[in-house]
Amino acid sequence: MRISRRAFAAAAVLATVLPLSACSSDSDSGSSDASGKVEGKITFQTWNLQANFKDYFNGVIADFQKKYPGTEVKWVDRPAEGYADKISADAAGGTLPDVVNVSPDLVAPLAKAGLALDLDKAAADYRKEYLPGAWQSHQIPGMQGTYAFPWYLNTGPLFYNKRLFGDAGLDAAKPPKTYDEVFADGLAMARKSNGKIATFANVPTIEDFGRYGVESMNKSGDGFAFNDAKGVELLTKYKELYDAKALDPQALTATPESAGHKFLTESVSMNPGSALDLANFKKQAPTLYKNIGITDQITSTGKANMYVMGVMVNSKTKQKPAAVAFAHFVTDATRQMEFAKKVAIFPSTAGSLDDPYFTKEDGTDETRVRIAAAKSLKTAVNYTPVLFSEQMKTALRNEVAKALQGKQSPKEALDNAVKACDQLLKQS
Amino acid sequence: MNSPTAAPADPSGPLAAAPAARSTRSGPHRAGRRIRRQLPSSPWLFAAPGLLVVGVFSLYPFVSTVVNSFTDRRTLVPGHYVGLANFRELWHDDMFWTGLRNSTLYVLGVVPALVVLPLLLALLVQRHIPGIAFFRAAFYTPVVASIVVVGLIWVWMLDDRGLINSVLEAVGVGKVGFLSDQWLLLCSAMAVTVWKGLGYYMIIYLAALANVPRELHEAAAVDGAGAVRRFFTVTVPALRSTMVLVAALSSVSAFKVFSEVYLMAGPSGGPAGEDTTLVMLVQRVGTGLTGRVGYASAISVVVFVVTVALMLLVLRADRREDA
Repeated sequence: MRISRRAFAAAAVLATVLPLSACSSDSDSGSSDASGKVEGKITFQTWNLQANFKDYFNGVIADFQKKYPGTEVKWVDRPAEGYADKISADAAGGTLPDVVNVSPDLVAPLAKAGLALDLDKAAADYRKEYLPGAWQSHQIPGMQGTYAFPWYLNTGPLFYNKRLFGDAGLDAAKPPKTYDEVFADGLAMARKSNGKIATFANVPTIEDFGRYGVESMNKSGDGFAFNDAKGVELLTKYKELYDAKALDPQALTATPESAGHKFLTESVSMNPGSALDLANFKKQAPTLYKNIGITDQITSTGKANMYVMGVMVNSKTKQKPAAVAFAHFVTDATRQMEFAKKVAIFPSTAGSLDDPYFTKEDGTDETRVRIAAAKSLKTAVNYTPVLFSEQMKTALRNEVAKALQGKQSPKEALDNAVKACDQLLKQS
Repeated sequence: MNSPTAAPADPSGPLAAAPAARSTRSGPHRAGRRIRRQLPSSPWLFAAPGLLVVGVFSLYPFVSTVVNSFTDRRTLVPGHYVGLANFRELWHDDMFWTGLRNSTLYVLGVVPALVVLPLLLALLVQRHIPGIAFFRAAFYTPVVASIVVVGLIWVWMLDDRGLINSVLEAVGVGKVGFLSDQWLLLCSAMAVTVWKGLGYYMIIYLAALANVPRELHEAAAVDGAGAVRRFFTVTVPALRSTMVLVAALSSVSAFKVFSEVYLMAGPSGGPAGEDTTLVMLVQRVGTGLTGRVGYASAISVVVFVVTVALMLLVLRADRREDA
């Protein structure tokens, strides 16, 4: 009996003390000094790239190890699904790899927690090798420094289905070029098809607000501002589309993947895409591919949206010189150009987009899309603020959905969304 | 029957009896006593692996969750004690009340169906007729299928242009917004949960039905009771404790529903998040690099309390029936 009491007490104390101990850990940000000999064993984590690019990355690693004898790079690849959760678990558990493939929204919390190395201090010499906009994409409002090397960029045109345009009595050779034309065509298509042909499969996201000319954040970067008159105007127009059935009935619950699937199955007539999509249409939806129309991204700002990938160095790595050298090696102009020739992505290194591969036509649709995308990337902007977390995206989506359903006005919806996002920003 | 007192009376004499007596004294009973004397903690050693697993994977996370619920801990930021602040925030969080409403509705919608329908199915397949094994296996198949696969198949079928809507349109009913209407979406998810759980509870009922005395049915039949009357007066009372078990198990899992609603309503929890359940809210709030672990833990504590309350309610109802 005495033993059981003692054991119970020990278990209870352990179970109480262990979780409490987690509350008192500190967050040592580590030194930014990456000078020294490039050597030692490092781990490099990528985001769903092993399945299609195994040989390419093995080649990059072999070249790096040859250039820096005494180094060893262990490559791990994680699936796309749950990537952020995997990084969270690693970061919280102190097992974050030395070099990590990240997007800007993933870098922000890691940098705030002192887990991302400030490259303005550790690798300032490399800065000039990259496009200024790409380098800035991993800077966090309210913090000094840059927290990841820019890697590949992507952008894309607006795809439309010529057959559906024709069925609705619209001229498929004249796709919309402005927001007014998009909304007019969407309403006309819904009216002429008795609500059977929808234009878009999703509700407006933070990128759409950005493209429409709405400032997502205030000047000081400590609060959101997409509830201005322009934001309300965009949401009001989407409400008109929704009421006229020009938005897919399942738009309120759509994800980018499900919206893409709707376009693939010819349920909606338009979908923004990337240069990667054309090959996908050709393979998965040959009927759609025959009817595919390609036009420029629609913006009110004249600047297309771009997606940026980065490579971050763990500030706690024991092999800082090797980790910084490898992150730079993967993202330098030579490696990015090689990678771009294997898959439809675009280098973030200065001058690479002037390569004939991105400027010379060869008569194919793929090249046409690639050249147009490369041209637009020179002025493109990442309209998603780095501080806009998944929780904020959900808050915005839900408030927008309420406005479309008529449960609140567009102004109320955006005010509520900004309030919720500001609250989440303060808590982050 | 050997005993220490019988040993001296052994006809082979004291010399021969001595080893026998020693052997009797060192039998399993005394050996066990000696082991206890020598290793007083031996039962704990045997139980240690199991206790370790329970401690690490159940007790520690549970206590950790309770402790975190009183902190403002985030994924990458250690928390500080904030008292009841998370629970006060819950009280004013509309999404929490939406989650509580949906999880409660899920219990009310799913549990009665999962108590009754598998019983009817078990009655159908308990008969020994040729080919019945095929139907038993067919009804059980959804149980072993991956919930993700099942969820996606149902999403395709219930889609605006899916199989079910195509049939409804063909027969003149028109399209039904199974995946776009807040309430229809919740009902669709409930239907999937019921469909997937039927086979599991059917097996439990089949085992219980095998223990219902055949004589009771025969006696009732002799007294002129028809099949329906025999079901209500013989089968149901005999299976009452099994039905309580099924109600308890299904209510706990229904209250904690996540996968079906997440797959069908999407990560945002349906139109404007109106189909969010409590566990979905835990996932949404507490995961990711900016996850609010403290607040998510507070929601988890509420889920735990309500789950325990549900169990107690079901058991209390059972005891009242017994009285």
